[in-house]
This record gives sequence, structure tokens and C-alpha cells, in this order.
Amino acid sequence: MSKDYNTLRHVVRLPHSYAAGPVWTRFYEGLKEEKIYGTRCDKCSRIYVPARSFCPNCHENLDEWVEVSQEGEVVSWAYSSDREFFGMQVKPPFIIALIRLDNTDSNLLHFVGGVDFDKNTIKAGQRVRAVWNDEKKGHMMDIKYFEPIG
Amino acid sequence: MDTKKMDYTILKDEIAIPYELAMGPTWTRFFEGFKQERIYATRCPKCKRVLVPARSYCPRCFVETDEWLEVSQEGTIVCWALTEYEYFAIPIKPPYIGALIKLDGTDTNFLHLVGGIDLSDPEYVRKTIKNGMKVRAVWNTEKKGTIMDIKYFEPMK
Repeated sequence: MSKDYNTLRHVVRLPHSYAAGPVWTRFYEGLKEEKIYGTRCDKCSRIYVPARSFCPNCHENLDEWVEVSQEGEVVSWAYSSDREFFGMQVKPPFIIALIRLDNTDSNLLHFVGGVDFDKNTIKAGQRVRAVWNDEKKGHMMDIKYFEPIG
Repeated sequence: MDTKKMDYTILKDEIAIPYELAMGPTWTRFFEGFKQERIYATRCPKCKRVLVPARSYCPRCFVETDEWLEVSQEGTIVCWALTEYEYFAIPIKPPYIGALIKLDGTDTNFLHLVGGIDLSDPEYVRKTIKNGMKVRAVWNTEKKGTIMDIKYFEPMK
């Protein structure tokens, strides 16, 4: 037994502005130039990507900026096949992954792309390389995705 | 590398959250009444209190209220507040007066707006709007079956 009852519809809109700060800004500026920057700790020599303002291990300020490799390997990944929820920036299908760029000590969260989603070939350890968007906005998505190499 | 002299990036985004609220039989019937410019209420069979907006049960007696009646569109202001400060995402642009209104012949307070007067000067509003003053519903020409089908309650002369 079903009846037609009314539905109240409303959209709550929450515009927000996020101040990126000096470190993220410099990192984003690097992306505009197709460079990936990290910051290096004097004390423990770790290199963090994206660039950090302090070393979470030593609690020291990080002011040594280094350009890091644009190649690395997939640490872990998750494949989203078709379920789309409202407000998603990147629509399925996509592979989201933690990528350890060569000679860095932290993982970068980004997408693996340029793959045939129907063929399940992505594996942890897969070597990948950054692929850039032609149009840059000074944002993480200036990197279109990381594509498998070799 | 000097990061101090730069203009820092501001990332702008908007999160939009669409809602769908299933109104159910009681609210549906209540708001269908609004479309006809009628205000309906329900009466508790036990304590006989008249509840508006219409309730499916009496929250004091916990019995089902199945008696529907139309109530007066006039009432008295129980309390009111003038809002001038605009903050994001409120549905009504200030200045506006939110008020609890006791419609004649009912036993609950009805939350809505008081309007039809100049709201630009709070001192004038303070002198004009009084608790206990009689008000009457003013309807929007266009009805959507929501609480805002009533434009506001205006002071009666």
C-alpha cells in the first residue's frame, strides 16, 4: 500500500574560502610550472610531498625546498567503478591511489589514469609517472593523473 | 626561497547539499491546506488541545490525533525578535521579525514572520510591535505547499 505524500526539497549551499598559506601556495605555484616540490628536514633528511611547513617527525621547521621526481610507485589503490555521489569532483570510474614518488618519504594522494578500467591491471608497486593538464590552475588537479609506465 | 612576500592562494569551493524530506501524511495534508489558504490543526481526543501546525499525535498524551479542523488565521504575538544581521544561507534576507504567534482557538505557538511594516529602524519596530498585539496571516499569491506560502503575519489595525 503506497500513497502519494509530498516531498520537501531544499539545497543547502556552503561556499567556503580556504587560505592555503605560504607553503601550499609555493607548492601550487610549482605545479603551475609542472614541477613537484617537496620540503626536506635538515635533521632527519626526510623529504615530504606535498610540501610541509614542519617535519612531523622532528617538529623542526622545514625551509629547504627540493624538486622531486615525477615518477614513483603505487603504494595502495582503490577503484571506484560507478557509484556517483553528489558533489564529487572527479566522477567514476576512477582509481584513487597513494603514490610514493622516488626518493621521498611520504605518500601523495592522487589518481591513477590512462588505464583501461575494464582490465584489472593495477597493482601495488606499479611504477607511475605524472601526466599534466594543459591548463593550469595552481591546484592539485593540475596533475591530471599518474599513468603506469614500464 | 622566500615565501613571506607572496600573495597566498585562496581556494574557493562550494559544497551543495541537496535534501529531500518525506513529509508524510500529516504534513502533506497540512500544507495542501496552505495551498488553499487554509490553516489546519489537529485536536487531541484526550486533552482536547488544538495543535498547529497539525500533529499526528499529541506530544503530551501520546495519543493519535485524528480530528482535523480549520483554525483562524488571526492570532496574537507571544514574543518576537528582529534580525538585522545577515549570515550565509538563511532563507530570508534581513531585516525580518521572527515571532511566536498564538492563533485564535489553538493551544500551541506558531512560528512565523511578522511583516507589513517598515523594518529599517529598530526603534520604530520596538515601538510598533508589541507582545499581545493582534496579527493576521497574509498569503503569497504563488503557493508551493510550504510554510512560506504565508508571506507573514501583519499587525491588525
